[in-house]
Amino acid sequence: MRIVTVSGIRGSGKTTLVRELIVRFREKGRRAAVIVNEEGEETYAPDFLGTHGVEVFPLRGG
Amino acid sequence: MGCSLATSLVTEVKKIRRTLNPDFLFIEPSELVISEEMRQATRMALRDVNFSNGPFITLVDGPGFQDLWKERQPLLLGQIAGADVVALSKSDLLSPGRMEAIMDTIQGYCHGIYRLSVHTGSGVEDLVKAIERS
Repeated sequence: MRIVTVSGIRGSGKTTLVRELIVRFREKGRRAAVIVNEEGEETYAPDFLGTHGVEVFPLRGG
Repeated sequence: MGCSLATSLVTEVKKIRRTLNPDFLFIEPSELVISEEMRQATRMALRDVNFSNGPFITLVDGPGFQDLWKERQPLLLGQIAGADVVALSKSDLLSPGRMEAIMDTIQGYCHGIYRLSVHTGSGVEDLVKAIERS
């Protein structure tokens, strides 16, 4: 397992980028999971998670 | 990043490593967290489980940069300075002149900057390669 951290202010495109990286690595047969500490404008839709076999773990607080 | 949040993160990382053990675990921290705090938190998890730690990527919002730099410079610098990879997001919305001005402003604080646009796909493959090289 490799941890890849994507930091940035709200609206900088973190979720958009992570979703794209998940798709690109999935095409190479690599599995991913996500820990999210913020609910941004972008989300991980259930059909996206199902299609790409991804689990998302929310982390609440600061 | 507070102690309780760091502890929760460590617990979550260990649980995921011991159960799912995916090839990649992406972490999207709160916007107020700086890169060094993330390094410290993930290092704590390394005491209990084994994984590869990094790269630490920081996204800099291209279109909003001017205002952010004026109002939240310490936060931006904390995220940029400790990152392995810095990427200028939404770069397709920037004129060449604005892009160069942003690069000139922040390049002294990091090793290099990727020009990224997930919308057009520009720079995404470079980031994929940067992750694979880590």
